Amino acid sequence: MPLGTLDRTAPPLFNQGPSALSKLIFFSALAVFLMVADARFNIVQPVRSAIGAVLYPIQWLALKPVQLVVGGGRYLEDLQTAQNNEAAARKALALQSERASQADTLAQDNVRLRALLELRQTTQTPGRAAEVLYDTADPYTRKLVIDQGLTNGVAAGSPVIDEHGVLGQVTQVQPFTSEVTLVIDRDLAIPVQNTRTGARSVAFGDASAHGGGLELRFMAANSDVQEGDLLSTSGVDGVYPAGLPVARVDRIERRADSAFARIHCVALGHVTAARYVLVLAPTASQGVPRPAPAASSAATPAAKKKSDKPADKAADKGGKTAVKTEKSGKSGKADKAEQADKPDAKSGAKSDKNERGAQ
Amino acid sequence: MIMRPGQQQLLLPLSPIFMWGSLVFAMLLEMIPLGRGAWMPDLLALVIVFWSVHQPARIGIGAAFVFGLLMDVHQSAMLGQHALSYTTLGFFAIMIHRRLLWYPVFSQALQVLPLFAVSHLIELAIRMIGGGVFPGWTLLVSPVIETALWPLATFALLAPQRRAPEPDANRPL
Repeated sequence: MPLGTLDRTAPPLFNQGPSALSKLIFFSALAVFLMVADARFNIVQPVRSAIGAVLYPIQWLALKPVQLVVGGGRYLEDLQTAQNNEAAARKALALQSERASQADTLAQDNVRLRALLELRQTTQTPGRAAEVLYDTADPYTRKLVIDQGLTNGVAAGSPVIDEHGVLGQVTQVQPFTSEVTLVIDRDLAIPVQNTRTGARSVAFGDASAHGGGLELRFMAANSDVQEGDLLSTSGVDGVYPAGLPVARVDRIERRADSAFARIHCVALGHVTAARYVLVLAPTASQGVPRPAPAASSAATPAAKKKSDKPADKAADKGGKTAVKTEKSGKSGKADKAEQADKPDAKSGAKSDKNERGAQ
Repeated sequence: MIMRPGQQQLLLPLSPIFMWGSLVFAMLLEMIPLGRGAWMPDLLALVIVFWSVHQPARIGIGAAFVFGLLMDVHQSAMLGQHALSYTTLGFFAIMIHRRLLWYPVFSQALQVLPLFAVSHLIELAIRMIGGGVFPGWTLLVSPVIETALWPLATFALLAPQRRAPEPDANRPL
């Protein structure tokens, strides 16, 4: 043994690295940092995407048994059911084909009338079909995961609908999957319009534990809302195309101690049972001119690049509506940049008239 | 080696492949989409606590943290929520590992109950601060189920180490 080995450093026989307490403090601090960064500053998105890409094969594997059971059950479904389903589908198709042929004529009429009135033309929103993979297991939020992701061209902020109505909005895009926050999540708000009265308002996800519904907030106790009213998207937010059915008013509580009524609604889209959904492009990303706010700053080319980001925040006519999804901070800026990019938009009053004309 | 009371036989050395395999398998089980029940037991937390108690030199708080991050991304929860919860679990498991194994299995299960309760409490507190929805009182069932699964985990996860060739009364291995 060379001289001077032992008296300087002890051999690392029982060296176990840093103590458990120091590790606990380090990793807890890291976790808290990540949480704050995730919830407030939205800067850990690349980390999330990277982990999501690594995790994708395991998720795919974990989905297989469930898909096998479901697929096996459907395979053994009897012939009678299949034939009944086909007959029902054919009937529905026949009914719809009549309406579709009328719709073509109506669309042409609409185009001519709009041209006569010098209104903005309504845009067709491109959509892509997606399959729902699973509900997220997180019991604190209401989200779905669909099988279309960044590689398929899904952008964060896209509205998601099924055949009955609006389901929600894409809030996270992973490389191969996307997370859709449902309209019944308490962090999602959606601007709606009462189809009977034309009154605009905002529907929020219900915050109660068993709430599978929505709530219309900030409606005066004497406002004209009835049970059974249909709510559809108003299209003023730059995200959802106008006229998609969202919810039906279920129950109204007018209380003496409050200036506002509590209005509970039921989502029309099958938020818990949807299998196939349609992901639409956000309307703001299609270059639809929107009324620019008076105090908008000059647009920069850098802001233009951001304009394909979700446009979550919208200013309603009354100025009271602020649509907030959970990642609204950055996207709201992107939306403002979008508005600033389009100074050539017709004046706010004109597009306001247009939205009324669209109803 | 000292035989602990209640221990039937000496255990064979652990294969690291089996340990990491069991962790990944538990994560796979967690990822099977079975719905959104708040009462669902967190199997990954159970396995992490188990190996932290039995093999504190091989799995540490860092590994628990990484598994927590993976679960956060999978559940699309707040990034760091499970990581903090699993880090705390790993720490407490390492704190009690010298004492815990001297008790019989059912007594061990009772002693890990507070750990699981604390981990679920941490997740609940984080989400309540972050503005989540209260998931309902069935949340209380989750640590109880995890505790009830402890003897099962002890049986299943120590099985490969119990394959003694010919144990008899005088030669425990």
